[in-house]
Amino acid sequence: MDQQTLAAVLQFLKNNKLKDAEAALRREAKLPDGSGDSGGSSRVATSGEVSSVLSAYESEGDLARYCEYYSSLSSFIESSLDAHKHELGCLLYPVFIHMYLQLVYNRHEKEAQKFFNRFSVEQEDWHQEDLRTLSTVKTREQMEVNDLMDTFRSSKFVLRMSRDSYQSLRRYLKQNEHRELLSILQDHLFIDVFDGVPRNREQVQATSGAMMGEARRDANKVKVLYGLPKEPDINVPLDDDDEGGDGEDKPKKKKQKKDLLLNKNKKADPNAPPPSRIPLPELKDADKLEKVLSWKEGLKRVPLGRENLPSICFYTLANAYQNVSAVGISEDSSLLAAGFEDSNVRVWSLSPQRLRTMRGASELDQLDKEADDIVERMMDEKTAADSWLLHGHTGPVYSTSFSPDREQLLTSSEDGTVRLWSLHTYSNLVVYKGHNYPVWDVQFSPTGYYFVSAGHDRVARLWGTDQFQPIRMFVGHYSDVTCVQYHPNSNYVATGSSDRTVRLWDVLNGNCVRVMTGHKAAVHTLAWSPDGRYLASAGVDKNVLLWDIAYGRLLAEMKGHTDPVYSLCFSREGSLLASGGIDNTVKVWDVQKVFEEIAGSDDLTSLDRASLVEVGSLLLGSFPTKATPVLKLHFSHRNLLLGCGRYQHN
Amino acid sequence: MHRAGSIGQGPLRSLFERAMPEKMTAPKDAQVMAAVLKDMGVTDYEPRVINQMLEFTYRYVTDIFENARVYSTFAKKKEMDTSDVKLAIRHNSDHSFATPPPRDFLMEIARQKNSTPLPLIKPYGGPRLPPDRYCLLSNNYRLRSLHKKPKLTVAVPRLGLSSVMGQPSPVGTSTSRVSSPTTAKITIPVSVTSRVGQHSSHMKTSQATLLQPTSLLGRPISTLGSSTSLGDSSGTKRKREDDDYDLLE
Repeated sequence: MDQQTLAAVLQFLKNNKLKDAEAALRREAKLPDGSGDSGGSSRVATSGEVSSVLSAYESEGDLARYCEYYSSLSSFIESSLDAHKHELGCLLYPVFIHMYLQLVYNRHEKEAQKFFNRFSVEQEDWHQEDLRTLSTVKTREQMEVNDLMDTFRSSKFVLRMSRDSYQSLRRYLKQNEHRELLSILQDHLFIDVFDGVPRNREQVQATSGAMMGEARRDANKVKVLYGLPKEPDINVPLDDDDEGGDGEDKPKKKKQKKDLLLNKNKKADPNAPPPSRIPLPELKDADKLEKVLSWKEGLKRVPLGRENLPSICFYTLANAYQNVSAVGISEDSSLLAAGFEDSNVRVWSLSPQRLRTMRGASELDQLDKEADDIVERMMDEKTAADSWLLHGHTGPVYSTSFSPDREQLLTSSEDGTVRLWSLHTYSNLVVYKGHNYPVWDVQFSPTGYYFVSAGHDRVARLWGTDQFQPIRMFVGHYSDVTCVQYHPNSNYVATGSSDRTVRLWDVLNGNCVRVMTGHKAAVHTLAWSPDGRYLASAGVDKNVLLWDIAYGRLLAEMKGHTDPVYSLCFSREGSLLASGGIDNTVKVWDVQKVFEEIAGSDDLTSLDRASLVEVGSLLLGSFPTKATPVLKLHFSHRNLLLGCGRYQHN
Repeated sequence: MHRAGSIGQGPLRSLFERAMPEKMTAPKDAQVMAAVLKDMGVTDYEPRVINQMLEFTYRYVTDIFENARVYSTFAKKKEMDTSDVKLAIRHNSDHSFATPPPRDFLMEIARQKNSTPLPLIKPYGGPRLPPDRYCLLSNNYRLRSLHKKPKLTVAVPRLGLSSVMGQPSPVGTSTSRVSSPTTAKITIPVSVTSRVGQHSSHMKTSQATLLQPTSLLGRPISTLGSSTSLGDSSGTKRKREDDDYDLLE
């Protein structure tokens, strides 16, 4: 036993005239000590204060009082002012957890069990999942092995409280002198005090739910450059329109649309990142042509809004006995890739054009390399097919992503690898090994070359296609990262995780610039609005949440789904949000209303309150499919909503 | 396995009924496993899951006990006791159930990696791929010659080869291989590099394929035959027949 610690303890007991306890301690100290004191000191090594040392060596008598402490705390909270009640109510969950852990740690399993059974039912619903994991930890040995316990022990649970509530809490603690409570609060909780009006029940509930509490205020302080960079001047000669930018001689309506779409505004968006902030691949001629074509498609776009709901074209994968685990659609809606649980990937063409592969080497040799249509000639018409099957992974494929130029496909799988496939030869080009655990999501950047992958190892990694190791690692989530979504300006990456938070990362330096809590269960899908300011997220808790990235606050909560939501997509001009899930429906939400409210009242004073925009129900339409869970939604350039799912015929 | 009811009436029936009760309840293990699943909140599972879980449990426990037995004999103990078992469990968990690395370790690595600047992207780089050794681009096969020449008996080159070799070539069969010891390599590659296409007609002896040690030339030449035996292998290996390989020609 650590002599120093023992001496400190004895001194403390002497000071407080706790003679019986002191005598008991002296008696016991004479015996050879076999219990894990080193474990105890490492557990409280972070604080290093005598009081914390003591809390780990609590004698028998005080433990029965844990129940007392907890009940007295909860009754205090009940009896406090309504204004403070809800904020203080957040305290109960972390205090409960740490009290339980202390009981287990000190090997008082029976008391721990009693404590758990009595108070676990009082916790909120969304904590029950974590509590169940907690209930399997009954002995100290199990505690050391369990991941979740490690997280709780090493990281601090964050609570946000107004100054008034905090003062009343302090008064209570001073009155009752519960040492253990104090020590728990000091070691394991971080109370972020803000000056302002205490939050009401809705507001508190809106941001609770994450594994480690809420987000600290300084986590959301950094300025995020969410704007889109100015479109480059492209002068590609086409048959009709001239892309010079000035269209005075065009009919008025077309000119308006054109200006909006081509976005040739002279002033740069102040919120946009400078183009040289991160190195981006240069625009090749083919890319410029692509851009122009997509702008032309955009001219024929159907404007959507609350009076004009989208048409939905749904692709059903029938007879897919090997379960479909992922679907990806290319940006121009011409290709669809599905990943299966038997590790295959199949690529289909959604356009009338069939999928062609490259000719053999001897034939390519004979081609005239200077010909204009060399790309066309390279492709072999004879072996064109409607779909191609790609083999390579050794585990279920969890995500697919097409490159913006449709030349490459990325897939990620449970075998821990991300594979790059060529869509010219339909073969596997590269295997990126970095996660050693299932990779849940992968996505190409809107410019190509970069891609992010999210895995079970709680890390999201940024790669370049020519790097065999990741370029950036986004570490911060407490549990696996389940989904990633690149920002339209390629400077930020949003990740959603099963620790119920959504984080935004800066590609330049890998920092986490936004932490957004509010989901009550794992987040499985994210979608950016086309202008880059708003982020929608949804997951197992069936709600779709809309966030304002500029301040990192929650704007709206869209309830309506009855089962987990697995896909989200904004319409091309950003006025509608479509969501689909396991409840076999596609729901369309009117987010334009929310944006109008925001634009009207742009008050920055309400930053600390997650004031949800009061708009009533935003649901515009609900479209059921025939027993087909919706795996992927995608708005084409003309605002046709494409959906994909696998027919469940049981 | 017949249910007791299908046995029919008679003295046999009572015998069977005693041996197998009407209602077949799950064995105790399966009941325990079902209870564990219920405790962990898993309510919706196929019946086979219980069997799989039981198999896993049995295998895991057996592994642990085997290792514990090894540790206890190493420590020269009479019997296995809990400390052996604990050691075996710890050892097993380190190796097989690897959990993702702890957060602070990841933070440290991330800090290092994120401090390096983003790599510059070379313009006009074509399909940007990692260095070849990290790609799956190279062939993992070598082709046999496509043309199956008729078996010529060109005595001269063969004699030349065998005289160079300084040992009797395994003549008896017309399908024997010519091993190419180091002295022979001087002559063969020269003509290969100059006239790749016509080489096969020149140097083809009664064997349809010719040895081409790939290491000499640096890379395999796909139009020539390939073989796997280098060096003097006449006595030990079976002479490979031409139609050993099933090729679609």
